[in-house]
Order: sequence, then structure tokens, then C-alpha cells
Amino acid sequence: MTTTLVRADMALLLDVGSAWAKAGVIGRVRGRWRLVAHAAQPTAWGATALRRSLVDQLTASVDPRLVHQLDDLIADANRIECHTARRPARLAVVAVSRELSGSAARRAAEAAGWQVVETVTVDDGRTLADRLSMLQAAEVDAWLIAGGFDGSRSPRALEAAALVAAARRVEGGAVIWAGSASLAAEVDRLFEPGALSVIGNPRPDARHEEPAALRAHLAGLLRDAVTPEDETHLSSVAFPRAIGALAGATGLRILGVDLGARSATRALAEPDGTFSSRVHARGGLAGTVLASGAAARVARLAGDAGEEAAVADLLQTLRARPSTLPQTPEELSATQTAARVQLAGMLEEGVVGSLDLLVGAGRTIAAAPRPAQAARMLLDGIRPVGVTQLAVDAAALLGPLGSLPDDEIGEGLALLGEDLLVPLGTAVVCRGGVPGRLAMRVTVHRSGWPSRSPIEVRSGQLQAVTLPRGQVAEITIELLGGVSLGAPRRSPRIEVNATGGAVGLMLDARGVPVGLPKRSDDRRTVLAGWRDSMARESPAGSERVA
Amino acid sequence: MSVVHRVRLPVGATPMVEVGHRVEPAEVLATRRAPRGGISVAVAAPLRRSPADAAKCLLALPGATLDAGSILAQDDRGRQVRVGEACILLGYDLDDGSAMIAPLSGSEPVLGHVRGEVVSLESNAIELRIAGALVTGVGGSGNAVHGELRVAVHEPGDELRASAIDVGATGRIIVGGSRASAETLTRARAMGVAGIVLGGILDKELRDFEATQLRRREIGGVRGDFAVILLEGFGKVGFDPGLFAWFRTHEGRMASLFGETARLYVYDAGPPPARRALPRPGDRVIAHRRPHAGQGGELVRVIDRPYAFASGVVGRAALVRFEDGHTAVVPVANLEATEPLSGD
Repeated sequence: MTTTLVRADMALLLDVGSAWAKAGVIGRVRGRWRLVAHAAQPTAWGATALRRSLVDQLTASVDPRLVHQLDDLIADANRIECHTARRPARLAVVAVSRELSGSAARRAAEAAGWQVVETVTVDDGRTLADRLSMLQAAEVDAWLIAGGFDGSRSPRALEAAALVAAARRVEGGAVIWAGSASLAAEVDRLFEPGALSVIGNPRPDARHEEPAALRAHLAGLLRDAVTPEDETHLSSVAFPRAIGALAGATGLRILGVDLGARSATRALAEPDGTFSSRVHARGGLAGTVLASGAAARVARLAGDAGEEAAVADLLQTLRARPSTLPQTPEELSATQTAARVQLAGMLEEGVVGSLDLLVGAGRTIAAAPRPAQAARMLLDGIRPVGVTQLAVDAAALLGPLGSLPDDEIGEGLALLGEDLLVPLGTAVVCRGGVPGRLAMRVTVHRSGWPSRSPIEVRSGQLQAVTLPRGQVAEITIELLGGVSLGAPRRSPRIEVNATGGAVGLMLDARGVPVGLPKRSDDRRTVLAGWRDSMARESPAGSERVA
Repeated sequence: MSVVHRVRLPVGATPMVEVGHRVEPAEVLATRRAPRGGISVAVAAPLRRSPADAAKCLLALPGATLDAGSILAQDDRGRQVRVGEACILLGYDLDDGSAMIAPLSGSEPVLGHVRGEVVSLESNAIELRIAGALVTGVGGSGNAVHGELRVAVHEPGDELRASAIDVGATGRIIVGGSRASAETLTRARAMGVAGIVLGGILDKELRDFEATQLRRREIGGVRGDFAVILLEGFGKVGFDPGLFAWFRTHEGRMASLFGETARLYVYDAGPPPARRALPRPGDRVIAHRRPHAGQGGELVRVIDRPYAFASGVVGRAALVRFEDGHTAVVPVANLEATEPLSGD
């Protein structure tokens, strides 16, 4: 093989995050494109150190004649790159009601990728002077006003708009009116021409929340006005595009979750390749500390992360020093539990319908020391009811591939084949049932293996059955005691294929949401049991129970 | 050495300085008229119209700022409603025909809280060049304060005790050690300490202190400003010994501390020990995160192959000889190189 050929057959896939930079080298090996090296490091270490890591890995495996050229080969290789936005886009939310219009507007803004730096509501208990002073001091890229039900003429909604008009400089950022439709013309007069966009009310009445139009508008505004850089190279755009292409190519319904240091992205793709995505500006690990009561919740859910005060310090450390690594088991446990909490926050509204594949990305999930830990984060955070394959984007390839032109993404995914994702296995998650009673009876048939007696799973239990990567088993699931796998079914017996992975077949009857004992000792025992049931190494074909 | 500090101006502020102007921490950079509580002004009644008709006579839109004596509403017969004082119009009530206005206070100062020279002046910010050094932290709390630096612990890993806060600390910025309890913070505030610089603090104790202060502010029991800055991390985290030594050499210098944004300016100071990611063998390093958070030492060697830590996480590791004599393997990602002070 000549140097020229090698140079032509190598590409560098880069995902530069706010805290960690990940790089993969793909090269042609015996006629097939393979991932031949992968490195991840704090972004602050710079490109030279990243290239050095890749060279060190490749030195052991490449043709010895190329060893001294590796640095140049990597430097000159085609680069396919995505990165996180240079800075967060900041928004002020001014609304009538903290509980209704304010929270709906805030959620929609955060789900569209905005960082809400100020929230003022007419019922927030502050004085009018305080509200105005806060808004006058706010440094934001856009203003979002919400309030008043459609068809009503709420003077308080107009007051919210007047607060923004008083606090904003002329040409001081876009203004979005997402309140009562009947007030739109009056609100428009308060701002210079062209400043106001009128969007469908996310709380058209007291009972309904319809945030989709607002979220879509805010996402567009974020791209057009605040991050005018080539948007396809933004990780928050590229990752969903890759998930969409993967769904289109496989015919699977896929949910991808990318949990970063600062923000998080979720992408839901249908079998035809269409997808929807949301960016949660504070959904990353650093955002955990901002949630009220987060430390107590993480300490409670982890069980082995230490006292609440220690967890609070850890969560602050994740915010302040996001590129550091957990060195102790307690820190790792708290970090992974924080990830579960953040994933659950992203999926507050749930995912309608069952999923075929759930993909986890981001260092905390995809680079978890043990595959079982990655599976626990996905299972506990997302609660994918039904039969779902789990996988992780271990080499952070999806983001860079998603930054390719539309017609090349599918080709890139196909070229990498089995190197693209690391399959964790298949999860069967049911809901309902009575604690302690039988929830599922699962029979696993594998060709060439002796028949085994059915596995009985009780409500509250989590079991794992070894099913290696590349193997497929036919499983028969008999649902008992009122439990369900989400979609209504005529027969209580369901037959599906389960594909194997690093963890295997996961039988999860812990309910949705996961129920935990109130007594701390009991809770710790249960949590340790679940951890051990997933983590224990066991002979092929045996199950681990907790 | 000099650094630039940006002072954001609220909407409606009027600058009182010009480029090239030298300012002191307590000097007024701009003035603003802050809004006060809202009041109602009758509009329909003086115009002798129904509330709906009177609404058509308003000359200003909600959000507009009106000068004292400005006409708020006027009808075709020459009847007028004026505002008695400068205010912001916030709305009009169609039910009772009154306007809601927020009167503006008298002129209030916008302080820079720093000593420096004005280098740029924009409608939304003033930038000042400060002759001195900037130390940034990882967290903090409280307002902008200024005062002389005073080191109140002997070793960088010492905890700042309440007993170390005496009358000599009043009006000063105290440089503490690895931790201060909520009790210490409360005593410091009560003794009139301007601010505290710490290596670390327990997040819970800082939150508890903030909650106490908030409650006392609500009942009017707190006067004066107070700020805290954390330089290394959360938990009991000592100072980097090099940085602690730098503070010792600058004891008695004036400093400005911004708690919320975790920034500390020390005037007429040379640069603090610099930090660098990706330390090399022989570097003096500071460790972040447990179990070595805040400990300084020397990086002996970087381990050739990826290393599995007790957590199971695999990463690049380094052998570090800490200043207390023990050696440990630490993720390189958790280390920063610290540049020694000149003369070390």
C-alpha cells in the first residue's frame, strides 16, 4: 500500500464539545471502512494533544512504514466535524402566571435550546419596581412574552408586554408574543416595526398546553439570529440529522439522547426518516445543580453516592469543572445518577408510542466504565416502555456524520456499519402491576441452545440475561397481573426478537416511574440489588436477578 | 499588568464619565432613575369620558417613559391629564379608566466598584482598564465590594474559623483557607467584613448562609454589602499553595470582589500564578475533584497507557507527588499546571 492510497483512505471525525473533544479515525482495512482509532480528551487540551493520542493508538497497528507519517496523515485527513454552539443564546421570559403561561413559555424556550436568564411573572411576588429593574439590567438576545388565554383581553398580559417595552432598548433583541391572540395587535404597537413576532399561544386555555409552535419558532430564531454559523455543523443539529438518517436506513423508530456537559439534545426519528428534536439548554450535567432539590434527589436515587451535602458539592463541581473525571466510585455513582435525573427531565412530557431503538450519546453515557451503567442510565432516565434495543454512540460518530450533506449521511452511516454504535442489548420494560407479584414470564429461545424454563419477573424487579452481541433470541413475554408494555394488545403473550449486546436481555418490571422504598436502608438495598443484577458477570444463558 | 472590567448599564442610565476618565471604586459612573412601585392615575374621570372613550385619548403607549408634566391623555376639547413626575406608563385599565404608571425615583448612582481608567463608553456598558490582576473563581455569592486584602489563615489548607474574624477584619476582604462554615460567614458579615476569598466551601453551607441573609434582608436586618468567592472548588478544598503565597505577598493591597460573577481584582498586583491545562512531568500541579481536591504537588510522570481508576473510569493518568508527601495516581483531566511565582 502506498502512502498516497493511505492518505486517500483516511478520515477524521471530530465532535468538539464545550468540555470534551472526541475524535475518531476511520480508515479502509482489508477493503472495509473501519473505526481504527478513537480518542477523547478535555477540549482545553487542544488539537495537537488529540492528534498525539490518535497517533499513539495507530502506531501499534499500522504498517510500520507509515508510523513516522501518521501525524501528517491525520493532520491532512478529511475532517468531518461538529461542535457545540460558541455561546448560549439568552432569553428573558415575561409572563402573567408563574404556574401556567410562565412555566409553559420557559419550558418551550429551554426545549428549543435557549438559556432563560430571567423569568418575571406578574404573580411572582416581587414588587413592580423590582421586576422592572431586573429586566432593565438583563442582558439578553431575545424577549418572550406570554399570558392571557385566547379570546380574552387580559390587562395583566398587556402589563407583561409593557414591562418588556419599558425594559428593552430599541433594537435590543427580537420580541416574541406568545400570549392571547386577541392582544397581538396592541402588543405589536409597543415595539418598533418588525421587532415583534406573534406565535400561537402555548396556553390557549387553562387546560391545554400547546408549545409546539412556540418551540419551533424559538428553535428557528436561535439558528437564524443567534448562531448564524453553518448550522449543520452544530452538534444540536447534526446529532438529530444522524438519528433521522439512521431511522430511515433501518426502518426503526429511534430516540437519540445526547447528554453533554452544558446542554442536552433529544431526537425522535420515525421509520421513514422524519425526525423532531429538542435542545435543552440546561439539560446537560452542569444543569443538574440548577434544579431545585437536585442534590437531595440524586443522593436518594443513587443510594451509594454519599450524603446530600457531598452530592451538592459534586453537582457544583460538574458545573464548575465539567471536563474533570470522577475518580471515586461515589463520584461516579452521583454523576451517573445526575445523568438519569437530567434524562428524565428531558422526557418529562414522555415519548408517544414505543421505541425500537434507544441511542445514548455524550461522555457520561457513552463512555460509562461498564455497559451496564450506560444501560441503567438509559433505562432509568427514559423508561422506554415496551421492547427496545439499547445502544450507545461510544465513539461519538453520530454528530460528525450528521454534519455531512443530506445525501451523504446515510452513506457514512452505512460505511461504518457495526462500528457505528455499541449495542447494549434489548430491554423489556413494563408498567403497572402489584409490587412483589409476578409481572412477566419470559421464555428465551435461541437456536442451538437448550430450551430453558421461563424467567419469572416480579413487579419491582430488574433482571438481566446474557445475550451476546450479534445473537438474536426469540422471546415470548407473558404479561401477568395487569402489567402492560405500553400499547394495548389482544393477547397477553407477545413474541418478539431480541438482539444481544454488551449487557444482554434486560427484563425491567420496576414500573413507570420507578418506585423506591421510603426507608433509606430499604432503598439502598433495592438500589444495590438493581445495580448488581445488571453489573454481575454471569455465564452465558443465565439470568441475574434483583 | 492590566485587565479590562465591563460595567453593564441598565436601560435609561446616563453616563457621568468620559473615555480617559480615572475612577475610584466608589465613584459614580452613571446615574439612572429606577422605577418605583406602580400607582394609578385617573384618566377617564378628568376627561369626563367613559373608560373606553378615554383610552382613545392616551398619547403614550405602555412601556413609554414620560417626563414630569408630560401629557398622558388629551381630548379634542383641550382637556388634559398630565403626569406629576417622571414615570413609565405600564397600562390602562378599561374597567375603571385609570392608567398604571411606575414613577421614577430620583437619580441613583451606578458604581463601577473598581479603580481604573475608562477605555470605552457605549449605551449599554462602560469598560474600565484596571491596573492590577484578575483572579477568577468557580463560584461565589453576594454583591460587589472592595477593601484591603487580609490573609486570615496560616496554611492554604486551613479552615477559616469564626475566631479569626476580629475587629481588624472590618471593611477588609479576608483571604481564608479551605472552608468557612455558615457560622463564620455570619460572624464575618456581622463584623463588617467586606468579603471573603476561599479555596472552597460546602455548597450547603453557602446556600444556608444565603438563605439566612435573604430572610434578614426581607425583614430589614442586613445593611452593607458582603461577598464570597471560591477559587478552587466546592467542598473542603484548600488553596493552591502558589496562589496562597501570591495572596500573602499582596496582603494590604486594595481589591474589588464581585461575588456573583466570581471575579476578584487586586490592584497594583503582578499576575497571579497562571493555570494551564494538560500539565507535563515536572510541573507543579493542583488537583480538582475528590479525593485530592485542592491539593498541590508535582507531576512525576504521565502513565503511558490508559489507566482504570477506582471508579472504573479509564483515562490518561499521572503520578503526582503531593506536598504532604504522599503520591497518588490522578486523572490528568483533574489536574492543572500552576506556574510558579517569579523568585520561587
